[in-house]
Amino acid sequence: MSGRRRDHITRWAEALLWSASVVVALLFLAPLLWTLIGSFRVEEAIFRLDAASLIDPRMWTIENYGDAWRRASLGPALAVSIGQVALIVAGGLLVNSLAAYAFARLQFRGSDALFAAVVMLIILPVEVIAVPMFFTARDLGLTGGLGPALAGLTLPFMAKAFNIYFLRQHFLNLPRQIEEAAVLDGARVWAQYWRIALPSIKPALATVVVLDVLTHWGDFLWPLLIGTREETRTVQIGLANLFTQPPVQWGDILACAVIATLPVLVMFRWLQRYIVATQVHTGIK
Amino acid sequence: MTAWEKQASRRAIWFLLPALGMLAVFVAWPLIRAAWWSVTDADLLATDDAHWIGAENYSDLLRDPRFRHAFLNTALFAILIVPLQTLLAMVLALWVNRPEPAWRWLRTVFFLPVVVSLPVLAVVWTLLYQPEQAGETGLINRLTSVFGFADRAWLRDPSLALPALAAMSIWQGVGLQMMVFLAGLQGVSREQLEAAQLDGASAWQRLVHVVIPSLRNTIVFVVTVTTILAFRLFVQPYLMTRGGPDDRTLSLVQYMYETTFLNLELGRTCAAALLFLTWVGFLTWLQRTLFNEEKS
Amino acid sequence: MTPCFLKIPDGLKRYPLVGIVCWLAALVGAHAAQDVRLRVWSHQGQEAENHAVREIAEAFNAAHRDRGWTVELSFFPDFQYTEKLAVAAAARDLPDVFDLDGPLVARFADVGLLKPLDEFLSDAERADFLPTILAQGTVDGRLYALGSFDSALVLYYDRELLARAGVTPPVEGQGWSWDEFVKACEKLKTAGIEPVALHMNESADEWFTYAFSPVVWSAGGRLIAQDIARVRGELTSEAAVRGVRAWQELFARGFAATDPVEPDPFGQGRVAMDWSGHWMARGHLATKGDRLGVMPLPSLGTPAAACGSWCWAISAETKQQEAAVAWLRWVTEAETGVVPLVRANGAVPARRAAFAHFPEYEQMPYALFRAQLETSARPRPRTPFYAMLTHRFAAALRDISRGADVESRLRKAEEAVQRVIDRKRPTKTAEASRP
Repeated sequence: MSGRRRDHITRWAEALLWSASVVVALLFLAPLLWTLIGSFRVEEAIFRLDAASLIDPRMWTIENYGDAWRRASLGPALAVSIGQVALIVAGGLLVNSLAAYAFARLQFRGSDALFAAVVMLIILPVEVIAVPMFFTARDLGLTGGLGPALAGLTLPFMAKAFNIYFLRQHFLNLPRQIEEAAVLDGARVWAQYWRIALPSIKPALATVVVLDVLTHWGDFLWPLLIGTREETRTVQIGLANLFTQPPVQWGDILACAVIATLPVLVMFRWLQRYIVATQVHTGIK
Repeated sequence: MTAWEKQASRRAIWFLLPALGMLAVFVAWPLIRAAWWSVTDADLLATDDAHWIGAENYSDLLRDPRFRHAFLNTALFAILIVPLQTLLAMVLALWVNRPEPAWRWLRTVFFLPVVVSLPVLAVVWTLLYQPEQAGETGLINRLTSVFGFADRAWLRDPSLALPALAAMSIWQGVGLQMMVFLAGLQGVSREQLEAAQLDGASAWQRLVHVVIPSLRNTIVFVVTVTTILAFRLFVQPYLMTRGGPDDRTLSLVQYMYETTFLNLELGRTCAAALLFLTWVGFLTWLQRTLFNEEKS
Repeated sequence: MTPCFLKIPDGLKRYPLVGIVCWLAALVGAHAAQDVRLRVWSHQGQEAENHAVREIAEAFNAAHRDRGWTVELSFFPDFQYTEKLAVAAAARDLPDVFDLDGPLVARFADVGLLKPLDEFLSDAERADFLPTILAQGTVDGRLYALGSFDSALVLYYDRELLARAGVTPPVEGQGWSWDEFVKACEKLKTAGIEPVALHMNESADEWFTYAFSPVVWSAGGRLIAQDIARVRGELTSEAAVRGVRAWQELFARGFAATDPVEPDPFGQGRVAMDWSGHWMARGHLATKGDRLGVMPLPSLGTPAAACGSWCWAISAETKQQEAAVAWLRWVTEAETGVVPLVRANGAVPARRAAFAHFPEYEQMPYALFRAQLETSARPRPRTPFYAMLTHRFAAALRDISRGADVESRLRKAEEAVQRVIDRKRPTKTAEASRP
C-alpha cells in the first residue's frame, strides 16, 4: 500500500477509536453525571429522564443544596473532613519521610531487622485493629470533644508502613554525589534530609499525598467509631445519616454527594502536575 | 565508620522516633491487645473483667455458620473482583496509553470514580440499582432494559446482590489500578518492542510476548493489593444492603462490627480479627511464591 | 498577581502544618469549658419532633440560666443509634442524658450504665405517669427510664379510596379480622388501588419488630420466652409461623410494596391504607382531613397493639447529676416537655396532667391511640438480648417479604440469637433451651 493510503486508514481508525472512547467514557461516567443532574432536580423528577421533564423548568431546583447543607451540617462536617485529611497528610509526610530517610541513608544497628518489621505491617488491614485501636484512643483521651476527636481521627494514621517503604525506595534511588557534596560542605544530617534529599523526591511525596488523600477522604469505619459527638462527624458520615434519617430526600442526598466530592476534585486539579506516573512504578520494583 | 557516619547513626533514632513511636502505639500495641483479648471472654463494656478461655473463641468462630458465611461471601467478592478488575485495568491502561494530549482526558474519566469516595458512591449506587417502583426506575435497570434485560431488584435478589456490589466496586476502583499499570507500561523496554516489530510480530504478539512479561511485577502487585482490599469489604454492604438479603452480602468486617457493637463480644471479635489477619498474611505469601516475584 | 489579602505569609507557606494546627486550636478553643454543659443525646425522629426537642432544650437553657446549666443536644439517626450508644459506652463517653427505645432499657440497666431514678420521683409524680410508661422503664423493680409519651400503631385508611373499591370500614374503634383485611385488600387491588403501605424501606431494624410483632402476638405467638431467655422454639412456634406467613401473603399477592421509594405514599394519595404510627397522625389529618379514618391493626386471633417508645435515662457515670435530673424532669413534665412533644408528634401523653391540653384526644384518631393503650397494648420483650433479637428478626422479615421460606428463615434467626444467649448465660439456659 502507498504511504498516503495507509495514513488515511490509520487516521480513520484513530477517529473511530476516539469516538468509541467518547461513547465509553460517557457510559462510564453515567452514574456521576446522573448524580450531578439529579442533585438539581425536584424530588418527583429525580428518576425521570424523559425529554418533557428535562425541559420543564419547574423540575429543576437548587434547593437541594441548601437543604443538604443544613440538614447534614455540612459546614462543620467539611471542616472536620478537610482538617482530618490535611493533618494526616501533613503529619504523615513529616514522620514517614524522616523514618524513610533514616532507613535509607543512616546506618545503625538493627536497621534491617527493624525495617523488616515495618514492612510486615504493610499488609495489616486497619479493620483488624480498629476496635482495639479504639480502646487505645480512648485510653489516651482521644475520644470526646472536637479537639481530642480530631487527634483521634488523625494520629493513628500519620505513620504508615507503606509510605515509609515507598519513600525509602525513592531515597535509595537518589544519587549519592549530591549528598556527599553537601557533607563536604559541612552540612549536618538534618540539613541533608531537609534541604537536599526531601526536595529531590517531590514527585514521590506528591504521590504519597494523593494516595493518603484518596484513602482518608473515604474513611468510614474509623470515623463511625470515633465520631461519637455531632461536631466530630465527617462529611461521609453526614452523607450516610442523610441517607437514613427521615425524611429521606433523594435530591438532598445527591446534592450532599456532590458537595462531598468537590474538595477532593479541587485538590486533584491542583496536584496533578506533580504526579509523574513513573514515580509510582519505582516503588514497586 | 567515618565520624560523620557515626553522628548520622546517633541521629537515626530521632528520625525514627515519631513514625515508629506512632506505629508502636497505634498499630503494634492494639495488635497485641487484640491477641490478648482473643483468648478471653472480654465483654465490650467490661474489658477489665476478662477471663482466660484459651482457644475457645477461635474454635467457636470456625464452627459458627454465620462467620463461615461472612468469610465465604467476602471470598466470593474477592474472586469476582480481582481477576475482573485487574484485567479491566490492564485493558484500560493499554487503551489510554497514548502520548497525544487529545487522549489525556480519558485517563481522568476512568480515574474519576476513584476520587469520588466509596461511601458517596455506595449511596449513589443504591439509587442507581433501584428497581421499578411506582413508575420510577434506577439508571442501571434503564440501561439494561436497552439491551433487552428485564427489570431486576439488584440489591434485593439474593443471587444478584453480591455481584451487583462487585460490579460497583470494580467500576470504582479500576481507575487506580489503571494508573499503576500505566506507570508499568512506561517501563516496557522500547528496544525490545522495536526489535519485535522488526521481526514482524503483530500487535497482539508484541503484547503477549513483550509487554505482559515486563509487566509481571506490576501484575503481582496489583493482584495482591486488590485481593487484600477486597477482603476489607465493609462500606458497600453496610450502606447498600446492611448485609442482606438473607445474609448474602454479609462481609467479614461487618460481622466483626456486629459482634462488637450488637453482641458486645470483644474477645470473639478479636479472635475473628486475628483469623482475618492470618488469612491476609497467607494470601500475600501465597501470591508472592506462586508468581515468584523477580527482584529487579 | 495574587491580591495582597490572599498572600499567605512566607512563614506560613513554609510550615503549613503550623498554620493548620493554629487554626484547629482556635476551633477547639472556642469549645473551651464554660459552665455546666449537659450533654444530651436524642434519636433523630421526624423533623417536627426533633424541632420540638430543640425548643424544649432552649426553654430549659433559658429557665436555668441562673444556675449556669446549658443543654448540648445531639441527634443521631435511628439506624445506628444503638451501635452509637454501645460505642459511647465502650468509650466511657456516654452523654449525661440520652433517650433510648423502651425495650433497650433492660440491656443498658443490665450492664450498670443507667442511674436508678426512684429517689428522684415523689409518689404523687409516679401516680401521674401512665402505667405502661413506668413498666417500660422498670427493670428488676427499679425505675431507670421515663418517657414523655407512649406510642401507637394503627391502620390509617382513606375513606374515599375504600368507598371507591366498595370496602366498608369497620365500626369506629373496632378492627378487622385478618381475613376481612385480606378481603379488603383484594377489593382494592381489583379497583386498581394499592391496598396498604408497610414501609419496608425503613432503614431502622426496630421498625420491623415494632410494627409486625403484633401480627405474631395476635396469632398467639411471641418472640422470646423472657424470663428464661429462650428464643429457640418461639419464633418457629406454630402460632408465630402462622402469623408471619399471613404477613408474607400480603407481599406475595401484591397488596404491599416490597421496595417502596417514597416515605409517605398514603399521604400522597397512592395507597389506601397506612400501617403506621402516631407520628403520622398530624400529617395525615392535615392532608386527608375528613377522609382520614383509623382502625386497630388486623388481628389473627386476639387483638394486640404495639406500645412503648423512646424514654430518657441518665448515665450512671454522669458528673452533672443535678442538672441531668433537672432535664429529665423538664422533658417529662406536662407543661414543659410532654405538651410540646405531643403537639409535634401526635403520640399519647405519658402524664395524665397533660391530657387536659389536648381536647382533640377525645376524637379519632387520637382516641384510638389512647384506648389501645388501655386494652390491647403489649410491650416488646424486655430482655438484655433485645438488640440482637430485633436485628435478626428484622433481617428475617425483610427476606420473608421477598419470598423466603418462612419457617426456615425464622429458624435461622432463632438459632443465631439463641447461640449468643447460650454463650452469655450458659448456666441459666442450659436446661431451659430445650423446648
